[in-house]
Amino acid sequence: MSDPINIRDLAPGTTVVLLSGAEAEIVDNPKDGVWLFARYLKSPDDPGLIGQEEMIFAQDVVDTRS
Amino acid sequence: MAMNGTQGYRPGLVDLATGQISREIFVNDDIYAQEQERVFARSWLFVGHESQIPNPGDFFVSRMGEESVILCRDRAGQVHVFLNSCRHRGMKVCRYDDGNTTVFTCPYHGWSYGTDGALVGVPYFREAYRSELDKAKWGLVEVAQLACYKGTVWANWDAGAPPFLEYLGEFRRFLDLILDGWDGREGQAELLGGVQKWLIPCNWKFPAENFSGDSYHNISHRSVDLVGAGPSGKSRRDYGELNASRKLHVTIPDRGHQTITYLMPKDHIPQAAYQNSPEVAEYFRHCEEERRKRPGANSRLIGAPGEIFPNVALLPRQPRTLAVWHPKSAHQTEVWRFFFVDRAAPQEVKNFLRDYYIRYSGPAGMTEQDDMENWNYAHAASRGVIARRHPYTYEMGMGHAVEDYEFEGFRMPGRVIDITTAQASEEPMRNLYGRWAQFMEAESWDELMGWRKNAPREAVAAK
Repeated sequence: MSDPINIRDLAPGTTVVLLSGAEAEIVDNPKDGVWLFARYLKSPDDPGLIGQEEMIFAQDVVDTRS
Repeated sequence: MAMNGTQGYRPGLVDLATGQISREIFVNDDIYAQEQERVFARSWLFVGHESQIPNPGDFFVSRMGEESVILCRDRAGQVHVFLNSCRHRGMKVCRYDDGNTTVFTCPYHGWSYGTDGALVGVPYFREAYRSELDKAKWGLVEVAQLACYKGTVWANWDAGAPPFLEYLGEFRRFLDLILDGWDGREGQAELLGGVQKWLIPCNWKFPAENFSGDSYHNISHRSVDLVGAGPSGKSRRDYGELNASRKLHVTIPDRGHQTITYLMPKDHIPQAAYQNSPEVAEYFRHCEEERRKRPGANSRLIGAPGEIFPNVALLPRQPRTLAVWHPKSAHQTEVWRFFFVDRAAPQEVKNFLRDYYIRYSGPAGMTEQDDMENWNYAHAASRGVIARRHPYTYEMGMGHAVEDYEFEGFRMPGRVIDITTAQASEEPMRNLYGRWAQFMEAESWDELMGWRKNAPREAVAAK
């Protein structure tokens, strides 16, 4: 298991990789350490999410891409 | 007098016919618990000032009774008051005093709420809840009623309570004395500095009673008078105009609000004040002149300590401050003191007043220290089994209040005792506890709005 990511440090524009394999671009970070506002870029399990903006839970974030 | 079950507060504990009140209402834990439901869950309570939340996303964590609430301005600019407790397992969703945010997130399981109170984030909503949770049902608990009045924000948990201005009734003019400008313009007040908060080991009704208009305890502040802590280096306040005024106890019997007020004669001349600073003295001289030019009866009033039922104390002038007596237990109160200035006042005036205010009020204020010493020791000395057998007396001035009090063309609302010569009465305390007893006995607001029975329907609606 990889080290947990401190999502408070992630800036808007950063791409996060999720547990499901989806990827989303951060649009806002409330810096509460729990949530990110992000737009889906890829979603293998549910392509209907692509382009949608949702709140992403910290424990779902497994990696980042700049 | 012993506690007589859950009913019978007036005959058993608050006996206005003899002017005696049992110590039980201050020290009894069961009565305290009932107060939370019967008084605090259905009264209008002060939660803050709009100047604390000027921008979308701004919040200030306040209290209503024992409970933490969030006063916030949502992204659309609307003001809300929410219970500060997650709907999932109750954890506080905001543990800061104030700030700006996009969401209130519970640190326990991660539920997250927008500034409009809507539940927006539920961890594993799709996976664990299988998208079956109805988020619309689980937003933050919002107060039943909210009122913004000249910048102040008030809230009520009871949908059956009357609107705020009807709740105030004719006491509104006394609240205006603190919220309107020194020159008489409407709604000029802004908060000066932060909110002072501290704990005192006494029941909340000790300070509430004191600020209802206890002018009998002035001897307690003799040392402050001797020090000359006032803004002219003498006494506690500038008293020049008071010597020419009628000193009155004014009570609004069907609402439970009461105050001391000074009613000046017609065509009086402003007296010198704020003599410790020539610039500040000149500013207030100008304001007083302007105030007297404005139409409206309040130009002849000088505000003094008063109480809005149940737990909001006013000091409209010298110092200009509002206190809330938050109940913590039967034996502990958390005091929050807010200080006000005119937002357009010069910075030098604000600086001068800041020094004076904190010299007078708050945990380090000389006058408030005198008061706290009295309340704290009185409470402690009333808890014992022997002490509880012996009621307090509130007989002073019984039978001497009048209605339709008038002085040089000014008719004062409510019931009034002229204490210019008498110096003191306990009419305000009898009014406070009479209303308190009504709340403790009443099953709903329907029993607490006696004024509506006699008022024409259209007059009530107009309020």
